[in-house]
Amino acid sequence: MTFSPSHRVDLKRMASKASLKQKFLKKWMEGLRTYGSSNPFTTVSERKRIIKLSADIAMASIQEGATKWSRALIENASQGMDTFKKSAMSDDRGARLPSAASVAKKIASKKISKSRRRRTRICEPPRPKRLQARSIAKRLVKKRTQVLKNLVPGGESMDDASLIKETLDYIMSLQVQVDVMRSLACMSEHLHRK
Amino acid sequence: MSAFCNTGVARYIRMSGRRSSRQSSSSGSPSISDEQIIELVSKLSRMLPEIRNSRQSSKVSASKVLQETCNYIRNLHREVDGLSDRLSQLLATIDAESPEAAIIRSLIE
Repeated sequence: MTFSPSHRVDLKRMASKASLKQKFLKKWMEGLRTYGSSNPFTTVSERKRIIKLSADIAMASIQEGATKWSRALIENASQGMDTFKKSAMSDDRGARLPSAASVAKKIASKKISKSRRRRTRICEPPRPKRLQARSIAKRLVKKRTQVLKNLVPGGESMDDASLIKETLDYIMSLQVQVDVMRSLACMSEHLHRK
Repeated sequence: MSAFCNTGVARYIRMSGRRSSRQSSSSGSPSISDEQIIELVSKLSRMLPEIRNSRQSSKVSASKVLQETCNYIRNLHREVDGLSDRLSQLLATIDAESPEAAIIRSLIE
């Protein structure tokens, strides 16, 4: 049986996605276990926040600082975890457990680059009518690019070419995150039904 | 129409990339070609279910790709939120004795 080149690429892609899912699951469970052990009594909504923040930190930390979105997400999610911990923890334990957040932060801080805000303005000369269609299309692209920048973590300070690359990676990571979370939810529901 | 849009966008993106690299002294990234940008945009469009499943997947404008990208990311965010909801009801604690823990352990090895 011969494999076509595109078939080989698909198999490779599937295998790499499977390993990403495994890494995500491992990191996510570590985070949940670490946090869960230091705070056993939580409300449902607190649990939801922990689950979500741990999932985001896990998704970002498997990038190992290679992408900008992942570094920005670790910053944001870690802040969420810290404020959460401060309000939730009332007792004073002797040894502080290293949280997934602080571990992820250590990995990411090795490669954090300073973000720069770039603001440039071009004054456009008045245009003949036949070029208006092109400028409308350009404006639409610019508007939608701005929306995208607000959706991707750390996107505000990206140039447009990096934005596309980061978006590709971010979407793939989100797909991994959703797939694993969905599988866990389905499995858990199935187990509880017995 | 879309090929025209893509090259127009590629030009626009390349220009904005040049402006940024002129201002930031530490960016060592190589300049990106029009072809690379078009390739990235088409890669992105292939990831989007709306566009991948439509018959016109080779003729999509850049602004449509951007719009579908934003919609898709928002949907994924919503899914994660909904799944976190479900899981918060299902998982009281991730302790070592729960049946899920055993299954998860076997998946992670």
